[in-house]
Amino acid sequence: MPNKEKGYLALVLHAHLPFIRHPEYEDFLEEDWYFEAMCETYLPLLDVYERLTAEGTDFRVTMSITPPLCNMMADSLLRERFRRYYSLRLELAEKEVVRNRNTQFYDVAKMYETKFRRIRELYEDYYHGNILEGFKKFQDMGKLEIITCGATHGFLPLELRKEAVHAQIKLAADDYRKHFGRGPRGIWLAECAYNPGDDVFLKAQGIRFFFLETHGIIYGSPRPRYGVYAPVYCPTGVAAFGRDMESAQQVWSAETGYPGDHRYREFYRDLGYDLEYDYVKPYLHQDGVRRNIGMKYCKITGKVGLNEKAPYNPAEAREIAASHAGNFMFNRERQIEHLNGFLGRKPMVVSMYDAELYGHWWYEGTDFLEFLFKKMHHDQKTVKMVTPSEYLAIHPDNQVVQPSMSTWGDKGYNEVWLNGTNDWMYRHMHKQVERMVEMANKFPSADGTLRRALNQCAREVVLGMSSDWAFLMTVGTAKSYSTKRFVSHTNRFNGLYEQIMGNRIEENFLKDIEWRDNIFPEINYRVFSTEEMERAQRS
Amino acid sequence: MTSSGQIKKDNAAPELESRALPEGYGTTEAALMPRDPNWMFIYWEITDNSKANLCRKHGADIFNKSRPVIRVYDVTGGDASKYFDIPVMLEAKSWYVNVQDSGRAYCCEVGLLQPDGTFIGLVKTNTVSLPAGRVSDVTDEKWMAVTADFDKLLQLSGVEYIGKGSGEVAKSLAQRWEMLRAVFSRASSWGVSSMSSQALQKTEQPKKFWLVADCEIILYGATEPDAFVTVSGRKVNLNPDGTFSMRFALPDGVMDLPVKAISKDETDSRAIDIKVTRATHTDAK
Repeated sequence: MPNKEKGYLALVLHAHLPFIRHPEYEDFLEEDWYFEAMCETYLPLLDVYERLTAEGTDFRVTMSITPPLCNMMADSLLRERFRRYYSLRLELAEKEVVRNRNTQFYDVAKMYETKFRRIRELYEDYYHGNILEGFKKFQDMGKLEIITCGATHGFLPLELRKEAVHAQIKLAADDYRKHFGRGPRGIWLAECAYNPGDDVFLKAQGIRFFFLETHGIIYGSPRPRYGVYAPVYCPTGVAAFGRDMESAQQVWSAETGYPGDHRYREFYRDLGYDLEYDYVKPYLHQDGVRRNIGMKYCKITGKVGLNEKAPYNPAEAREIAASHAGNFMFNRERQIEHLNGFLGRKPMVVSMYDAELYGHWWYEGTDFLEFLFKKMHHDQKTVKMVTPSEYLAIHPDNQVVQPSMSTWGDKGYNEVWLNGTNDWMYRHMHKQVERMVEMANKFPSADGTLRRALNQCAREVVLGMSSDWAFLMTVGTAKSYSTKRFVSHTNRFNGLYEQIMGNRIEENFLKDIEWRDNIFPEINYRVFSTEEMERAQRS
Repeated sequence: MTSSGQIKKDNAAPELESRALPEGYGTTEAALMPRDPNWMFIYWEITDNSKANLCRKHGADIFNKSRPVIRVYDVTGGDASKYFDIPVMLEAKSWYVNVQDSGRAYCCEVGLLQPDGTFIGLVKTNTVSLPAGRVSDVTDEKWMAVTADFDKLLQLSGVEYIGKGSGEVAKSLAQRWEMLRAVFSRASSWGVSSMSSQALQKTEQPKKFWLVADCEIILYGATEPDAFVTVSGRKVNLNPDGTFSMRFALPDGVMDLPVKAISKDETDSRAIDIKVTRATHTDAK
């Protein structure tokens, strides 16, 4: 069949959560972030992919699954805790169907029962507790391209030592290989934060492409011939794809964005607050404080108070999601036709979003994606959905441009991660990296307890580097948790460092930290050595 | 920690993380980081040992008779002959450095400026290359034919949204999802500075030559990490090492900034009262 398409669309979803796992507590509030995202985004997305595949609808999507997320998905403790989480939700949902018989909330109560049963089915029967298997399956079919991210979502432009940049990328690539059986072709740089030249470390791991905010490309030098509508090659030959703002605005805009439609589910009316206390108490955390439990019975309704919200109608909301998907597709068709005429080349439109927007923040977002994939496949010929790898195979010739330093944060640079609320962190973070490099160089082939201690030091350094801590301090959400996390990783590192350098490693201390911070079970501390970094630079 | 849970009974080992972060690392060093096209962040540590060495070399009164500054070098192209100085207090330990020219490479040196103008360097930072923050002047000859359309391409690319990507995100989140509320409530001192900078705009005048200037104030200090600190009666959040800093807009007039710290057990307190006066005179041209 001749190529009739006028351009390409790549949908890129960035799935990430910081590594949150607290074996020292029976029940830990912040672990809910992961369980909620599992129930509302990750499993529902897999559900969409399963259905599309079963009915023969071809689709293309690119997703980052960051190493912290991979490690949480693979962790046995969190697997058990997730079972507990969804089982409790299912139990409540089943009770709720009975309680709400013959009320206006029956449909929505039924929706949750169906939803949590499906979650159980997918989690247990399809993926046997390891949803990475699910993602891998669709990647192996060629429909999903999974990309990696810095080892702990580290914010690379604020690192002083290139050893740290190399370690973030190398650990990520190794972790990816372990979970997905081959090396990563692409990477999502945390916060789209790019520092010119760091692409050499991507190249060293065989990574062929990454993503940038619009101005990372537009402010590149020389001027990019096609703007953000074709990737550019960095001088190293690694490709950079730029974000399309038009499609971003359509979803995100406060005034006109889809998620604000008044027929969609209201986030803030939650059963955790609405139900009788004694009835809901078994589903709250151990402290018995009322919090959101993720089951919500109302729609946005309009600009009315929370107590005036109308009952949610799942069928109605699904129809709106379908019509929004139609609108999104229509706009991409027009955009791509226009760009095609203007550029004289098939444009590549890259639509990038946080994965957790779909399903978690915007409840109907996964329905929207399902409708979008179907409509793109069946109802039009103008736009072809591709993965970045497919695009580069079709168009291997691209302009060489040095992209600009940039991020996707407020104001476009590093301020979100470097301001009065968090700048105090960097002195300590840099010191840890310096000491880690010093030790990696000093001990080229440690074994036994020393090796374990060095490996644990490497885990603590990378955990402290998560951009999430600085971000949460800036936005003031979970500020004390993020501060405490950064401080505790720093102190654990410094404690181990002193023990290693003083040649007096305390086994119990080491064991305790290994038990708490078990990310990257196969980590090799030598990843921080100057020698390894230089070898990567030469590649 | 905002956990709802209880510590397991068999795991009651004292939590290491309750310790405060080290105040310093006992090494004289400094680092420079890029924030955006016109701002950098520098931090430094200067040990007592380094200070003592300096006194031995230049006389015991060297710190009294000279002024501490950050010397900011433009090192673009390897040449460091262009520089300017920012007066600081060595105890500040960190500073936001503003530069006029984006897209250039900078390096800083913290040191002492003597009355005769000689500079004694104490510690030097790494070099930082700042982004240009605008469309490149470099155009590939091969593509010259399309430059006329570049403005239109910029529009299509959404150049007017630059930096608003997640700003928009934040707005919608703040409205419906509350998550980023703090950023836009401008509750942080960081926000105050951003707001006052926005007021700094070129006046609409047909005249060719122009000048704008404004001034902000940075207040900083340190105390025990668990102390309760107020500035002008408002509670200040301390960094884990007990330091704090704030930026304020500084309008004309007298500004009274009483700083008060109360120890955790409330048995001791210290107060420092700072008064700042600003008077701005603009010639009538």
